[in-house]
Amino acid sequence: MTTTIPTATAPFAPKARRMTLKRRRQMAGVVFALPAIALVVCFIGIPIGQAVYYSFTQWNGLTSQWIGTATWTQAFHNTNLWTALRNNGLLLLSVPFALAIPLCIAVLLHQRVAGWRIFRSIYFLPTAISWVVLGLVAERFFAYQGTLNSIIHALGFSHTSTNMLGYESDALIALGITFVFTMIGTNTMLFLTGLATLDPSLEEAARIDGAGRWRIFRSITLPHLSRFIQLAFVMTVIALFSALFSLIFVMTGGGPGYATTTMEYLIYETGFNQGDFGTAALYGLILFVITGIIGVVQLRLIGSNE
Amino acid sequence: MTALETNTEPRREPPSIKKPRRVGRWILFAVMMVVAVVMLYPFWVMIITSLKSEPQFLSGGGFSWLSWSGLTSVIPIGQELLSSTIVCSSSILIILCVGLPAGFAFSKLRFRMSTVVFLVIVSAMMVPLQAILMPEFVNVTRLHLTGGYAGAVLVYAALGTPFSVFLFTTYFRGVPDELIEAGIVDGLGYFGAMWRLVLPIAVPAIATVTVLQFIQIWDDLLVGLLFIQNTSERPITVGLAVLAAGRTTSIPALMAGSLISAFPAMVVYLGFQRYLVKGLTMGIDR
Repeated sequence: MTTTIPTATAPFAPKARRMTLKRRRQMAGVVFALPAIALVVCFIGIPIGQAVYYSFTQWNGLTSQWIGTATWTQAFHNTNLWTALRNNGLLLLSVPFALAIPLCIAVLLHQRVAGWRIFRSIYFLPTAISWVVLGLVAERFFAYQGTLNSIIHALGFSHTSTNMLGYESDALIALGITFVFTMIGTNTMLFLTGLATLDPSLEEAARIDGAGRWRIFRSITLPHLSRFIQLAFVMTVIALFSALFSLIFVMTGGGPGYATTTMEYLIYETGFNQGDFGTAALYGLILFVITGIIGVVQLRLIGSNE
Repeated sequence: MTALETNTEPRREPPSIKKPRRVGRWILFAVMMVVAVVMLYPFWVMIITSLKSEPQFLSGGGFSWLSWSGLTSVIPIGQELLSSTIVCSSSILIILCVGLPAGFAFSKLRFRMSTVVFLVIVSAMMVPLQAILMPEFVNVTRLHLTGGYAGAVLVYAALGTPFSVFLFTTYFRGVPDELIEAGIVDGLGYFGAMWRLVLPIAVPAIATVTVLQFIQIWDDLLVGLLFIQNTSERPITVGLAVLAAGRTTSIPALMAGSLISAFPAMVVYLGFQRYLVKGLTMGIDR
């Protein structure tokens, strides 16, 4: 606030009046924005700073003792961290499926076969349900006496049984499949919105010129959707790093062993099960950096479209 | 940006150009039915499983209302629904009361550095709670807010505020400056201008924020699990997750509870689908 306050004796009265008006408007702006700023600073800003501080301490939630970079060297020698990062990396392999399947569904819906509105509502419906509930259902699906084994038996392989959540090698795959399912609704919605903004006369022109369906899809539909695919990609990756907690909590509890422990679950596990708040705060910082990088990519995407 | 409702419906095509081949249409329909079956699978599992008693569930066959009639003895469903409702509505109220004036300020009452402040708040959208979980938990515990709903409500409100500020700011940019200026000249004052002029046109934006946040908070586990320590004040999603993690609970009852917990979010979802779509594509679909 460095604007000079005009006095009543200012030589140019109209200008002075405008200045006070502008100043009053700015003051109102500050007052109106202040609650939001305060809330975000207190509950998001300050904790980020604290996380940095506590990552250099031995911290049990009550007392903290500065130990410098020792927490860091310990953490990077901890195999759990690398297991969690590896799990997150492996889960990234599910992202193409979480994009391709919704893309196909959106294109199908866009064909407007009879009852497509009902289909649309049905496809979106699981999006409303908590991932806790979807995790519970998925746990039933993959369980030894679950639907997956029923299907396998019905197909004639009566001596084959799976127990995907029970084995280290398979549990992560089961989690990935569940993740893809939970993302279908949101991503389909995004792609369908994108398709709705596509000018149908372009497709018609291409058809008249003799282009086949596949050619139209590749040369017109897909390029048009690229922004939406980018957005869906970023949203899916962010969800992968920050929204799997509910699924893991009810499906596997991070196990067997650490087979399904991702970064976010490792933070919870280290902090609340092991009581090592300092290391958990440090893991939080690592997650913060990862999502920060993804966030910058997203802001770039949004910015480039304005 | 004129209205917040975006239609996901494709534009109508002239019927003369598109002549669907009948066989192709039927194949398409069949594929869509298959997808529908997959997407309805969770509901089917919940309904079928909840209509069995525990022994029937283990043996496979049978039908019983037992898990529904005895539900309240397994899950304190009424109390949990009440907790969820209280937490959801309080958080959303704060998000709206804080986000709307801020959006008005950042779009119409620009002050020194307001763009920078706006960008900082918006980038807070990118911070996942897990990244700041430990300090947040310790802070809220030290403030003695984990006893009741207050801690969880404040955390939800803080996490939801950046998005609502972003949405309201973008929305109000479409409001002509002259409207606000006229209101000020007429002596409404800034608060009056917001209350009488901005609020009425903000209804679609308010609806978008409310619907998105309702589903997000109703379905959330982590905040409710950690920031509501009192078991008699647990929201329904937390109650279900904790029961499930115990691994000793009757699964039919758990599925019945899941179905009940899914119901409100589904109703909101089907009723306000268009607002949700708009909220999701904010920033790219103008």
